[in-house]
Formats: sequence, structure tokens, C-alpha cells
Amino acid sequence: MTSTAQEIRIRPLSELDISRVVAIDERLTGVYRPEVWERRVGYYLRRDPDSCPVAEIGGTVVGFMFSDVRGGEFGLEETTGWIERFGVDPDFQGRSIGRRLFEAVQAQMAGHGVKMIRTLVDKKDSDLASFLRAVGFENAALQALEMRVPAEQRPGGNSK
Amino acid sequence: MNVEQTVLPKKFHDAVLHWQRHNFPDYGLLPENWQKYFPSDPDFCLCAKMEVGMGDTIEIGDKAGQARMTKPSEMGEEPARHLLAIIRAQASTEFGSIQQHEGTLARAQDDEDRFWVLRVMAEELRHGYQMFHLLVSQDWSGVSGQKAEEMVEEILSMRTGSHVLDAFNLEYDSFVDNVVFAAVIDRVGKYQLAMQRVCAYKPFAQSMPPMLREEAFHLAAGVIPLRRWVQRAAQGNELVTMAAIRRSFNKWTPRGLEMFGHEKGGESNIRFGFKNMKNAEAQSLYYEECRKMVADLNQRYLRARLPKLSPEEAERVAARLLDDRGRHNGISYGDLIELPDLRFFRRKGEPAFTMVGTRGEAFASVDEYVRHLKSHLPEPYLHSRDMKGYVETLRDVEAGRVTVDQAMKKMPKLKRVGGVCPCSNSVRWVVEEESPTIPKNSSDLRPRSNQSTPKSI
Repeated sequence: MTSTAQEIRIRPLSELDISRVVAIDERLTGVYRPEVWERRVGYYLRRDPDSCPVAEIGGTVVGFMFSDVRGGEFGLEETTGWIERFGVDPDFQGRSIGRRLFEAVQAQMAGHGVKMIRTLVDKKDSDLASFLRAVGFENAALQALEMRVPAEQRPGGNSK
Repeated sequence: MNVEQTVLPKKFHDAVLHWQRHNFPDYGLLPENWQKYFPSDPDFCLCAKMEVGMGDTIEIGDKAGQARMTKPSEMGEEPARHLLAIIRAQASTEFGSIQQHEGTLARAQDDEDRFWVLRVMAEELRHGYQMFHLLVSQDWSGVSGQKAEEMVEEILSMRTGSHVLDAFNLEYDSFVDNVVFAAVIDRVGKYQLAMQRVCAYKPFAQSMPPMLREEAFHLAAGVIPLRRWVQRAAQGNELVTMAAIRRSFNKWTPRGLEMFGHEKGGESNIRFGFKNMKNAEAQSLYYEECRKMVADLNQRYLRARLPKLSPEEAERVAARLLDDRGRHNGISYGDLIELPDLRFFRRKGEPAFTMVGTRGEAFASVDEYVRHLKSHLPEPYLHSRDMKGYVETLRDVEAGRVTVDQAMKKMPKLKRVGGVCPCSNSVRWVVEEESPTIPKNSSDLRPRSNQSTPKSI
């Protein structure tokens, strides 16, 4: 899947990318959370590193998109490609890095026989939603719902 | 990704399972705990996996542009003999690493780390199985002089000490070795598999992508626990220290570098279309990758000690500490991990038996060098038979009693001299007679001569 064009190199995720993924996430969120990314990268590496491309410029990782192929979730029996984590270093945004990463994911998903790619986006994250629409995503018939578990039902909570 | 799965004929499949019962008794724990540690991952399959859809054209070497070969007889005698040596060496490493891991697996402090390594071991078993598929599914007798059964038996009879490559002949001292081995030695495996993806012999090329995908997790099973350990070490954990990790890197890095073969070699791999890089080029890229791994670990350590540092500042502080051997906010260079010099503690290749320290410093006497090794290698490893043999051989080289070429072949090895079943007591320490068939500077990937006469010592 490695490709080189316009100084951006797209290649599969490796374990040595953790530091840069942590740093990009820290720049985007302001939170340093290496433990989270060590766990997630460990997961994606054992699933399929080819489905998790990173973008390099000048040998430095400047973006990543982690995806996974699964079936059977939420009653969706068809094999689905899920885009789950995505980030581009703010210093390198606006250079079509996200699009290049998505194209790599899409190609990999096609190789897996996936017919539908899905993701979830925070309604407040309009930039991300715009990007996803620009690469071809549309509103889904599915609706994301959530409910907070009452405090008294959580471990250590006050239950009667 | 399209993969065809195949199982070996029953007698070979059973032979692998027999070997597993004796050498990998923890294998059965994996399916019992799979859902706990690897939920939603496909179940482990002990089978050969062949990538479908790879090109039919040779990419490199004398036959570039011609059709990839599918039978050993199509290759010609010399290339076929060469590739057979590579396949046997690869198989030996897969089974060898399981034997090494098994010895200290149960000592892991964290169950997750233990089950990650257990999965690595199971996948190494599959990789060995994959190599057996290559050996038994075609007729190699024209170049091996052996039946498939004999080749399989020979590989399954190898023990820690008699494997083809030195890295697989060292015992682990603790679970630190399980993890550092995965980070350092499996990384060589990644390079070999990636280089062999171009192989002119199609079944071998087809074997590489599925193995490479699994190898990505093996490296993670090394690097991720290391990252957690250095973070805990920074927070005062006295059990797995930076010094213990550094010493383990010093033990394994030289062996990893030697797995690429002699720095001047690798020409024939390219000429025959088996690999796309010469030894020195691949070794150099590998070493740079190891440097990056160590730099990341040091950054993780520094940011745990000094949370206000940015990633860039942490990187700069680590580089400066290692460069000027100074201190920064209570942190000494000695608190960090430093990758040893390329020439440190080498016994194969260009720097073999030169006395070069971890930082590239030269030593004039064996005694002085042994003191240096003592202060930079894991203490239990100093007590090993391997170290004793190394120091004795180094003294012989320095005294002019043996040449470096002779020394490279002289190291004692634990060799099985009887049948395949490890129930029998047929393991002896032996020194093999020097074989006249092994040329000077031969690649490490050449298997030990079968013609040599083992001598018990």
C-alpha cells in the first residue's frame, strides 16, 4: 500500500508510530494520553496494520486513520469497514493528507470485500463532518443514541 | 487481502503438534484465554497461509522480468540450494524463538504481557509450519539430498544452542528478554520477510504477506510493554529498571545485527531474485529503526519524569544527555537507554571479535573488555555457557591461537545428536569440526554443515 507522491508517503501503521500519534492527538486535544494510544495501536496492529495508514512527510508521521473490518454490530450483518480514529497534525492540515489517508483505507476495505464504510462523528465537529462529506460520506439511516448510566448503578455507586 | 489456508499432510502436522507438546506446553492456554485478551479477533489457525493475487513476474536479479518460479527444479541447482538454506534457517528461527520464550514466559509480571507473548509464540509456530509447507509440498531432494521427512525431523530436533542463527541459541534470563527479544530480534524478522516478498520463487513470496501482518503485532508485543515499563520506571518502579532494559538491549542488539549476515554479503540474494537488499543496506536501516525505538522509549521516560516537557523538548533533552553525559533536572544520562555501537560485542561479520565498547570505544586488552561487558550486560547472562565460550574464543583470537574466521565457527553449541523426540537424553555440548565447504565470510543464513562430526565436550 506504500505510495509516494507530492512528498506525502502513505504506509501501514507500525508500533514505532505510537509517539507521533500521541503527539498529534496531544496537539489536537491538548491532552497527553500515551496509555490510550498504546492500547489502541496494539489493537489495530493485531487486527490489520494495512487498514490503518499513516501519512509521512520528510520521514515524520503527520497524520493517521485507523479503521477495522467487522460484521454483526448493531444488527448490521454485512461486513462493514469502520473508520474509528483519525488525526492530522495541525501544522500539516490543508494538504489533502486526510483525503490520501481515506483513499488508502478505502482501497484496503475494497480488498477485504467491504461494501459499506461507516463512522460516527460528534455533531460539534463540523470540520470533520465536512471532510467526510467531501470524500463521499452521506447521512445514514442509522441514528446514534446514548444514555448515561445512573450513578447509583455504577461500580462504587450508592445502590439500594 | 486474499489468503488461501492449507494444512500439512497428517504425518507432518502431527510431528509439529508432537514438538509443540514437548517444547510449547503453554500453547493450550491460548484458546482458553483468547476471548479475554483478543476479543473479536479471528481464532488462531495452525496452518499455512498463501497470499493470493501476487504478481507472476520476477522483480529483481538476473531473471527480472521473467515468470516467477513455482518448483525448485526450475531455479537451477545453486539458487535452489541457496533458497533451501534460507527456508531452513527461517524455520529454525521460528521454532527456536518458541523454545526461548517458553523458558521465562511464566515469569511475566502482567498477564496481558504474558498472553501477548503467548500469541507471538503461537504465530511463530504457524510461521515454522509455513516453512514446512514450503519444504514438503515440493521436491527439494535434488539439492537437499534428504527426504522431506528428514528435513522436518532435523529442524524439529534443534534446541536452544543448535539453531542456525546465534540469536536463537541464547537462553532468556528473565521476562525482560521475552519483551526485548520481540522488539529487537523480531524486528530483524520483519526486515527479512519484507525483503523476501519479492522472491523469484512464488510460493516463498506468497508466504511473506500473511507472516508480515502477524509480525507487526510481534513488534508491538515488544515495544508496547517496554513503553509501559519505562513509564513505570520513571515513576519509581524498582522491579523493571531502565538499567535492566538497557542491559538486555546490549545482549540482543549485536545478535540482531548479525542476523543480516556478513556486511559484505547479500549479493547472491539479489542476483537470484530472492531479496531486494544487500546485507549491509538492510542492517543499516534496521539499526536506524532501533535508534528510533530507543529514542521513543527515552522520550516516554522523560515525559513521565518531567510532565511539563513537550515531545520535542523531551527528544532534545534525551539527545543532549546521551551526548554530553550530563544531567537535567535530576535525570542522568545513565537513567536512559542507549543503543550499543554497531561493533559492540560482535562475533560475526566485519567487527567480529574486535573489542569495541557500547559507545564505540576501543579496548586494548581482553581483561579490560570483559570488565566492560560485565558492567553492560545482564548479570545472569554473564554466568552463561555462551559468555564463557565467547570470552575463551576472544582470548584465543587475541593470542593468535585462532583466526577470526576460525573463531566465528568455533563457538560451542548445544546440539541434539539423537532422534527427534526431546524425551530422549540425546543433547550434548558439541563443537563442530570446521567444514571445508563453508567459505570465508559465509552468510549467517548458511545452515550448519550436516557433514561435520559432533564432538562431546
